[in-house]
Amino acid sequence: MNDHSPHEFDALGLDREVKAPRHMKQRWHDSIDLAAQREFNDQKQTARAFSMSSFFWGSAVTAALALGIAIGVFVADDPEYIEPTEYVVQDRGNSFDRVMQVHLRDTQNDIASMPIDTAEDRTTLVLRIIQQNRLFEQAAERNEADNLARVLRAFEPILLQLAASDIAPEDAEALRDQLAFQLKVMLTKLERSTSKETTST
Amino acid sequence: MHTRIKLIFVVLAAILAGTVQAQDGNSARDKEELQMIALEALIHVPEERALPAVLKLLESGGSDDLMESAMFVLGQMDSPEAAAALLDFARNGNGDAREEAIQMIGINGDATAMAALADIYADGDEDTREAVLEAYLIADDVDAVFAIAMAATNDDDYEEAVETLAVMDAREELKKLREAKGPSEAFVDAAIISDDHEELERLARDSSNPDVQTEAIEALGIVDGPNAEAVLLEIYKSSTNDDVREAAIDGLFIGDYGEAILELYRSSTNAREKGELLEALVVMDSDLAMDIIDDALAGDQ
Repeated sequence: MNDHSPHEFDALGLDREVKAPRHMKQRWHDSIDLAAQREFNDQKQTARAFSMSSFFWGSAVTAALALGIAIGVFVADDPEYIEPTEYVVQDRGNSFDRVMQVHLRDTQNDIASMPIDTAEDRTTLVLRIIQQNRLFEQAAERNEADNLARVLRAFEPILLQLAASDIAPEDAEALRDQLAFQLKVMLTKLERSTSKETTST
Repeated sequence: MHTRIKLIFVVLAAILAGTVQAQDGNSARDKEELQMIALEALIHVPEERALPAVLKLLESGGSDDLMESAMFVLGQMDSPEAAAALLDFARNGNGDAREEAIQMIGINGDATAMAALADIYADGDEDTREAVLEAYLIADDVDAVFAIAMAATNDDDYEEAVETLAVMDAREELKKLREAKGPSEAFVDAAIISDDHEELERLARDSSNPDVQTEAIEALGIVDGPNAEAVLLEIYKSSTNDDVREAAIDGLFIGDYGEAILELYRSSTNAREKGELLEALVVMDSDLAMDIIDDALAGDQ
């Protein structure tokens, strides 16, 4: 045995509980705050990838194909994921608005059936909605639908609040109502603009 | 049919104005529920008719939820009159209504109203300035946020603007800003938020501002980039500055790089240093700590 070892371990005081130094604890707290911020942004960046079996993708693709829209998607190495980097509706018209309607309606349905009292289920669902929302925000940008991209961006702070696990049920309900109202307004506006365009052609 | 729509509109406007009460009670709650339903129904009414009713509701006031909803409806109207009304609330409204109107300008995106936000920011209090940054974030107006950061005269405004640029992932503008204003802790936060490993590594190696450098070193462990562990090890080994070395250990600790701490422990010949490294492993609740203790007790170390 190395002669130094016993003295080293004596100095460490391993016979008692080892507590982290105060300055280190403070830094961890700071780090946790920053890491949480980073995680939100990280999700924003990783939102480019999402599950093929996601709850709305099937209906969005079906709607797009039914409308005869060409949507270019880049399929990543992992077949489970699709990266919509080229999510551009080539025949603009009001076709993209219709795809957005499908997305908003699906979100509306998910919000309506969202569990309010079980924080874990709510958080899981809302995080998925956020992921889809970011995907469609990017799609809106690529399709030069700036007005839609802005609204989807504005949904995010509400969704992030709703995803928080420590939110009171009554607050979650108020946020859900707010979101449901805004989705309804957006859907009505989109439906009105697409029906106007259809009527005028 | 036209008369029927007109009649419906008149009823909706009356409900919103609060002159029609719920039949089964006069409570404020009943009235508000009815107003909310009317507001929803108003979405289907042509904008030129809906606008006066929404404005009347906003001017008469109500609960936060009702006002938020009414402001959202106003923000979704496309006419210059609606944008002008939003701008009026943003300039002259009070508290929440003012902030809500500013946010809605970001959603609405009207060019005139967006341009007016710069003056509203300059004249506004802290909440107003925050709301303007949020509006720019929603509108994805990187240039406007960059201009605010460049013109900032106090640390809080500067940091808020830098963090907003980070959320917008505006790396080019952040780089220009750092070059113009020099490194600060705000850039460490920005690099964390935008997940910019390269910028963080650059800040961690830059000793021109010791506080910023130690923050950046620790943050390498948070961001957990592809080279973070190797960079932290290298910084620790190559530095003679105690603060830098301590920050590197903290970074390794935060990043849960137990193997790297073990490597430093084994290569160290300084009892105090070995103690600190082992303490970090113990606090990390790492099995590696027990391995070291077992080795030492067995006389292998």
